[in-house]
Amino acid sequence: MAAERTNISNDLIWQITRNQNAYLVKRNSGGGSQFSRDSLNLLNKHSFKYAGYANNKAVGVQATANGGVAVTSKKPGNPQQPAKNQVTVSFGPNTGTRKIYKGVADKTAKNGYRGDLREEAVARVSAIRRSQKAKKDTPAQKPRGAQARKAAEKDSE
Amino acid sequence: MVAAKKHVPIVKKRMFPIAYPVYDPCTNRFNRHQSDRFKCVPSAWRKPKGIDNAVRRRFKGQAAMPSIGYGSNKKTRHMMPSGHKAFLVQNPKDVELLLMHNRTYAAEIGHAVSSRKRVDILAKAKALGVKVTNPKGRVTTEA
Repeated sequence: MAAERTNISNDLIWQITRNQNAYLVKRNSGGGSQFSRDSLNLLNKHSFKYAGYANNKAVGVQATANGGVAVTSKKPGNPQQPAKNQVTVSFGPNTGTRKIYKGVADKTAKNGYRGDLREEAVARVSAIRRSQKAKKDTPAQKPRGAQARKAAEKDSE
Repeated sequence: MVAAKKHVPIVKKRMFPIAYPVYDPCTNRFNRHQSDRFKCVPSAWRKPKGIDNAVRRRFKGQAAMPSIGYGSNKKTRHMMPSGHKAFLVQNPKDVELLLMHNRTYAAEIGHAVSSRKRVDILAKAKALGVKVTNPKGRVTTEA
């Protein structure tokens, strides 16, 4: 019975799942924030536009373990088999960032595939690439006040 | 001849002034009328209802009553002095949610998180450029 119903709309899925779903993360602090753990959600934001599971066409950008970026998108063909519908293109750690931008932008916006997500997709690539860079250590704090005076005394001796 | 004074700019010019919403704390507490006089009257706000009540009639010198006008600007509500909102975080995966929101949200590590996991969370937050409001808790040791 359920297998016959292939024409459930995206909006219906969203209406059913928007109050509670496995990806949703709610917090009361900060005025009540809602985020989504969905890997096909570009902003991790709980909203219909970015909900990858509720849209037939969706784009996800994730960091890969080797320091690259993987871009996943959904084939709109067969919504009944979500696992088979995913297409992943991965960029290695040595690929230029601008080249990845281009690839991601083309994948999202060309051929009428979610042009509204292009900017966010590129922004996410940018954020991921920045996070993959080695970070400088925080410099040691200089002594202040009484401690600084003590240190100065020691130096002068 | 007077030696030329070295020019010291008073205010550093900002190249791109942007109108960010400014944190505006409103720390007013409204205490219940006469809660200062009786031990049995707690300070939790109750609106005075009496027919002669001076506070209800807003007489001069009386305590102020809460009203909608005391509300803070919607854009700066729940904002910390740093300009971020707090988001409670228990593990590094929670920090990943803030990847695209590190200018609006700061991570706050839950009170029961162990020092070992705090180190992981802090490393993740540093990589993603997410501010942590309580980075020193349990991690630094007293010398």
